[in-house]
Amino acid sequence: MKTTRTQLTDAQIETIVADAIAQEAAFAGSEAQPPSSAIVWWRAQMRARQEATQLADKPITIVHALAIAAGIGLMLSVVGYAVAGVKGSAGWLSNIAQSLAAAVDALPALSLTSPVVMAALTAMIVTAVIASIAAYVIFADE
Amino acid sequence: MAHRSPVADVTYLDVRRLHGDALDADTTDVALAMDEDAFRGFYDRTARALWGYLSRTSGDRQVADDLLQECYYRLLKSTVAFENEAHRRNYLYRIATNLVRDTKRGSRPLFADGVDVGELEAPQAHADAAERADVRRAMGRLKPRERALLWLAYAQGSSHSEIAGVLGLKTGSIKLLLFRARRKLAALLQTRVML
Repeated sequence: MKTTRTQLTDAQIETIVADAIAQEAAFAGSEAQPPSSAIVWWRAQMRARQEATQLADKPITIVHALAIAAGIGLMLSVVGYAVAGVKGSAGWLSNIAQSLAAAVDALPALSLTSPVVMAALTAMIVTAVIASIAAYVIFADE
Repeated sequence: MAHRSPVADVTYLDVRRLHGDALDADTTDVALAMDEDAFRGFYDRTARALWGYLSRTSGDRQVADDLLQECYYRLLKSTVAFENEAHRRNYLYRIATNLVRDTKRGSRPLFADGVDVGELEAPQAHADAAERADVRRAMGRLKPRERALLWLAYAQGSSHSEIAGVLGLKTGSIKLLLFRARRKLAALLQTRVML
C-alpha cells in the first residue's frame, strides 16, 4: 500500500498507535505460553526453602569463625606472655621448654590487673562462651 | 511458529508425582507473601500479559521466559502490604521493569537503539504477519522506556500515575513522554506505509 506522508492530528496519531499496540498485545497474549501456576508456585517454594536453609546455616558459620578467632587470640596471648616472661634471656629460643617452665613458675606472682593477663583471661572466657553456644547449636540441630 | 514452553500444561499433581520423594520428605510450605490459592489465581490473571510486557520491552522471548518466574518469586518474597490487586499488579510490573533494565546491563545489549524486534520469529500462518512484523520493527526502533510507556498505556491501559510508579518517573512527566513516544511510533509506522 502506498500513500503520501500527511500531517496527522494528535487524535489520529493516538488512534494509529493504540490500534497497533492493541493488536500486538493481543498477539503477544496468544503467543505467550507461561508455565502453569502450580509449577511456578512449586519452584518458588523450593527456592524459598533453599534460601531459608542457607540463611539458617549462616549463624553456625559465624559462631565457628568467632570461636576459631578467639582460640587463636588465646594462643597468641599465652605465647606473648611466655615471651614476656623470658624477656631479656637471649637463649630462650634454643631452650623453649625452660622458658615456659620459668613462665609457669612466675604464674603465682602474676598481677591480675596486668594487661597481658587481662587479655588472656578475656580470650579464655570468650572462647568458652562461644564454644558452648556453638556446641549447643550444632548438637541441638542434629 | 509460536514459542511453546514444554511445561506449560503440567499440573501441580504432575509435579507432586514427579518429585514425590522430595516433597514427601519435607512438605511444609515456606512462608511467602501469598497463600497458594491466592497466588495461583493472581498468576493466572496476570502471567500472559506480563510475559507480553517482558518480551516486548526486552525484545527477546527467551529473556521473557527467564524473567517471568523471577518476577513472581520476588513478588512472593516482598514484604509490601498491597492495598488491592491493582497495587500488587503494578508492583509486579515494577519488578519486571527493573529486571529487564538489569538484564540490559548484562553481557548483551538487548535494548540498543535499532534492535529489530521484528526479527523475532514472524508468525507466517497469520495473514497479517507482515503488518505485525512492521509494527514490531517500528517498536524496535523506539527506546526501551518509550516501548514500556506505550505498552503500559495502550496494552495494559495503565493510568499516568500507575505508569509513573512502574517506571520510576514523575507522574507529571508521563503525559509529555507519552506524547513524544506516540509521535515517534506513528512516524515510524507512517514511513512503513510509504515504503
